[in-house]
Amino acid sequence: MSFFKDRNCYLKDYNLSLMDKIVGFNYLYLLFICLVVMMGIGILYSVAGGHFNPWASKQLFRFVISLGVLYVVALSNLRLWMKYAYVIYAAGLVLLVAVSVVGHVGMGAQRWLNLGFFNLQPSEIMKIALVLALARYFHGAGLDEVRSFKFMIPPVLMTIVPVAFILEQPDLGTALMLVFAAGGIFYLMGVQIWKFMALISLVALSAPLIWSFLHEYQKKRVLTFLDPESDPLGSGYHIAQSKITLGSGGVFGKGFLQGTQSRLNFIPEKQTDFILTVLSEEFGLIGALVLCLLYTIIIAYGFIIAHRCNNFFGKILAMGLTINFALYVFINMSMVMGLMPVVGVPLPLMSYGGTAMLTLFISFGLIECVSINREMVIGRRGSIDDE
Amino acid sequence: MSVWKYEKTRVMTRRMIGLAVLFILMGFVIIGRLFYLQVLQGEKYLLLAEKNRISVRLTMPSRGTIYDRNGVKLAENAKTFQAVLIKEEAKNYQKTLDNFLKLIPLEEDEVERIKKELRWKRAFMPVRIKDSLSFDEMSLLQLNAPDLSGIQIEEGMMRFYPAGTGNTHVVGYVSLLTEKDVEGNTSDPLLDLPGYRIGRTGIESSMESVLKGTPGMRKSEINAMGRTVRILEETPPISGGDVFLTIDSRLQNYATRLMSQYAASAVVINVQTGEILALVSTPSFDANLFTVPISVKNWNKLLHHKYRPLQNKVLSGVYSPGSIFKLVVGLAGLESGVITASSTVDCKGKTKLGNHLFHCWKKNGHGPLTLEEALMHSCDVYFYEMAQKIGAEKIIETARKLGFGEVVGVGLNSESSGLLPTEEWKLRRFNDAWRMGDTLNLSIGQGFLNATPLQIATAVARIAGGKNIHPTLLKENIQNNSEPLDFKPYYLRLIRSGMYDVVNKRGGTAYAVRINVDGQKMAGKTATTQVRRISMKEREEGVKSQDDLPEKYRDHAIFAAFAPTNKPKYAAVVLVEHGGGGSRTAAPLMKQLMEYVLELEKSDEKELKNELF
Repeated sequence: MSFFKDRNCYLKDYNLSLMDKIVGFNYLYLLFICLVVMMGIGILYSVAGGHFNPWASKQLFRFVISLGVLYVVALSNLRLWMKYAYVIYAAGLVLLVAVSVVGHVGMGAQRWLNLGFFNLQPSEIMKIALVLALARYFHGAGLDEVRSFKFMIPPVLMTIVPVAFILEQPDLGTALMLVFAAGGIFYLMGVQIWKFMALISLVALSAPLIWSFLHEYQKKRVLTFLDPESDPLGSGYHIAQSKITLGSGGVFGKGFLQGTQSRLNFIPEKQTDFILTVLSEEFGLIGALVLCLLYTIIIAYGFIIAHRCNNFFGKILAMGLTINFALYVFINMSMVMGLMPVVGVPLPLMSYGGTAMLTLFISFGLIECVSINREMVIGRRGSIDDE
Repeated sequence: MSVWKYEKTRVMTRRMIGLAVLFILMGFVIIGRLFYLQVLQGEKYLLLAEKNRISVRLTMPSRGTIYDRNGVKLAENAKTFQAVLIKEEAKNYQKTLDNFLKLIPLEEDEVERIKKELRWKRAFMPVRIKDSLSFDEMSLLQLNAPDLSGIQIEEGMMRFYPAGTGNTHVVGYVSLLTEKDVEGNTSDPLLDLPGYRIGRTGIESSMESVLKGTPGMRKSEINAMGRTVRILEETPPISGGDVFLTIDSRLQNYATRLMSQYAASAVVINVQTGEILALVSTPSFDANLFTVPISVKNWNKLLHHKYRPLQNKVLSGVYSPGSIFKLVVGLAGLESGVITASSTVDCKGKTKLGNHLFHCWKKNGHGPLTLEEALMHSCDVYFYEMAQKIGAEKIIETARKLGFGEVVGVGLNSESSGLLPTEEWKLRRFNDAWRMGDTLNLSIGQGFLNATPLQIATAVARIAGGKNIHPTLLKENIQNNSEPLDFKPYYLRLIRSGMYDVVNKRGGTAYAVRINVDGQKMAGKTATTQVRRISMKEREEGVKSQDDLPEKYRDHAIFAAFAPTNKPKYAAVVLVEHGGGGSRTAAPLMKQLMEYVLELEKSDEKELKNELF
């Protein structure tokens, strides 16, 4: 396509008008996202004992705001995100450093920056920023480059530096997510399988060393995960009660607003990390399967959008964010079902929480943006005709 | 499309498929786990969830009331006020406790218990600080309420014995459970109730199953903190049944006061119906001491008292019946034809058996005596002589018919059966044959024979009324139509006539205590039973006066009586441990007791008449 003459064309729309964008927007994709959020709000209503306060109403408000943000992001110029990918990443990194310096102490972990009106969580920003940065880095990379050792040093560093800061906060869940998302992108780019195997073996061998760096409460979590019955009234209590809540729902559940475990406070953090247990208690296996189906559809859309995209930046961006989302779902569900240690990862779109919701909707906005701009041609080095 | 782009797209598409496969596998893990937890293990977790949320608590039934024959409450549930401390409602519960102790000091081990409970009980659970607050204590607490944040006054039920200490040995008492009570007895849910008090002695113990009632149940939903959210189901407790006794609490208290200086027993029985009007053992004690846990000091005082106040001597004290047993021997003689109304024995002060001498209590002898005279003077020789002719077997048979040797069964648990020796028993016990000497000892109620005051009273009541009554404390067991005793009425009349002479004929052993309440007279029989053997040497030197002996060597004094003599209604026994002599100690007490019984009957009848007109 030689339509664009200007070499510096990041800011130029190729041929889409605003109307084209609005028409090209994938509304079905958004519908499934909204369905999950509505389910979440319903559960939050039940968790509060049949009241909109304190959770459902706020969540609804955030949902509306986030929906606006999603739309704005979706209609923005994809090239703009590519242009500023490194800037956003750098800003995220600076914020991470800031949080470790002046971070606000909450829940035994430094995760927030108090901006007065809003608690900023730089690790959430990093989830998107890292994917953006890696997408930009790999956009023009050829297969031979990806398979060279030297070429892979910067992206690995780009991953390790924020992960180290997040681990130090300490936030094991988010750190793992970043590692897996970056690993997923590396894999998609064609990094040889044996390199992953080598890395995994290396990590396994150095596990004892990592163990000594873990915080006391993280060690305890891993230990109670391995044997929850050992401490039924301590940390193991959460896992045991979580399983009871989930299991007691049976196939059809106890009915909306009828969950005894949640209403009587037997599960901790029922409105955030353990919200799946409430859904499963009240709607049983059927309810949980419906949720799983919705998640599967959303993830599948991510794959389809990435596959249909013409430019690599969009492909990688959509895939990276989708991997992020899928991992989010998987880690939370396995954690709640006692398949994984309780690492403190919320269930995306369902759990109560403002920052997580906003970040997710920005992600989905970006995926929509990729979807709208799937025909866009972006040159190997960022221009249109340097192939 | 350039080569690198084509290659890259190809690899990426392939790897996207790989990733999708991985995600599908992860999805199967999740769904599989959901299926396992919710379908395969669903029922187990549902049960666990129910166990989490439902708490079943028992509620205390109120214990049955115990009434005496006139409807006077002997044991009831009184409302009490107790001070409890609720931790979460106190500003500083330790300070509150300190302030409380400054106002109302408690014993050290109580303070220890409270501190322990405050440590482990949940913050909203009340901890009992003090039971049964007095009025003064209540007002003291109310005055100082600002310093006592977290202290609350709760209404509770408490066993209360309002009718005086005279009833304690019949009614008994309740006390808190100990570990022993709970051990091995898991079937009774009442035992799980905190604060449940079980019957320990007396009717409280023997009628426990009637009095205790059935606990109610409250099924409530609790939250994770253990706080009750709502009540799901409630079954009210069923109160225990009331128990109606035959005793007269006025008589109980009168007799207890009368004998308070002695270790003594008294029984009064209606000879027509078997009702026990009084069953008294002294010294007595206040049953209310036990409902609040009894202090160690008081317990030791009761336990080590030389007159054993905790023992019910009427039921579990065993004594030789002594001369009262002569009534039995006389009856056996009449029945077997050995004795007739006119047959006599000449008492010369002693009887020789082989080369062993058996002495009469009167050194120089009574001279010739008929049965009635022998009873009147309580001559030993008469019965030594007659017993040899009657034979032990007949005497034992007669004694058994009158109630010796077996438990009477008045409705209390701790009855002793006494001992009615037989040939067979002696062989088993001592591997020795029954000898004539044993028969002679038996004939005056000494030797192996022993009986409880209750058994003696039963025998006398049967002789007096001629009916085979079974004395009882429970109104439900009154026998209005008992069969006549298996003796010829004429023989019984002869024995009664002898008992009449004991009291009412000049020279009778109890002539001093004769009574006349509106023409109603008393008949009786004294007994003085040896606690130690009198040696030959002593007998030669002259038997020591009872007053010169240390108390524990003095004889037991017994007096058995019935009244009125023309139409016997009441039989009674008074036994004073180490009292010295039947006629000297027991008989005067009996006089007062029997007079009171007759006066009481008279005044009750008058009252009844007044009510009618």
